[in-house]
Amino acid sequence: MSLPNDKNGNMSFNSQLSAHLFSDLLDSIIVDVASECHRTARLGLDCNLEIEEEELRLSAEARARLSDPSNGGDVNGKYIVDIFGQTHPPVANDIFECMNCGQSIMAGRFAPHLEKCMGKGRKARLKARRSSRLAQNRYARGSYVSSHSQYSSTSQLSNDTSDTTGEGYSNGAYEDP
Amino acid sequence: MLWRGSVNRPPTPEAEDGRQDQHLSLQEIINIKLVESGEKERLKELLRERLIECGWRDEMKELCRSFVRKKGKNNVTVEDLINVITPKGRASVPDSVKAELLQHIRSFLGSAAL
Repeated sequence: MSLPNDKNGNMSFNSQLSAHLFSDLLDSIIVDVASECHRTARLGLDCNLEIEEEELRLSAEARARLSDPSNGGDVNGKYIVDIFGQTHPPVANDIFECMNCGQSIMAGRFAPHLEKCMGKGRKARLKARRSSRLAQNRYARGSYVSSHSQYSSTSQLSNDTSDTTGEGYSNGAYEDP
Repeated sequence: MLWRGSVNRPPTPEAEDGRQDQHLSLQEIINIKLVESGEKERLKELLRERLIECGWRDEMKELCRSFVRKKGKNNVTVEDLINVITPKGRASVPDSVKAELLQHIRSFLGSAAL
């Protein structure tokens, strides 16, 4: 695209022109899509639309029926009947064994149980940390006798989440070469 | 129109004197060339294909459908739908598609002996 004069002016003219031509093309495609959708909608050719409207209507009806207390058909006592005619209790009551601790747990209570059992909660994390620190204590006790008392007391006081600081190297008690 | 200034430029050596007599703007000249050579149709087809591939068309159709659902299918005009799609449509063309088309357009402009 080398032209004799005013190359800079030409470049911006060129890019303006290109951009304008691109917009033209895009706009004409937009009009195509719009008119096609319009035709589809008006002629009712979009069966998805009909199905969706039907579903919306039915679900609205079902919801209305559920909230209506005088209706005894769908509702059976305090349980709701689903489309297969089955009822499900609000809390799942299958019982099985927890793979972490081995207790018998009810399925609906499994998630809260796991939180405590596997250490998501505060207490469980402290419990885990304390027990792992005790184990490290026992190991450390053998090699570094002098600083043992310092080490065990600070580990009880510190409240952070990382286990390595409990090892005591930040104590300054040992000199690393 | 930002490019009017160029129309007042002294004509380039390769100026098409026949056309200039008809006082067509440069842009109109280019448009005519674009259409006559069939390039406009090719570019439009290319753009349409790319927009289908990247899902842009489906997005636009979905916008139309939700508008039709809200308004009721017998109350919708083509104008409505164009107004619904245009802002989002112009903004959501992928950069790669735009770049490809612009490249083709520019090379056409280059070969059209401006």
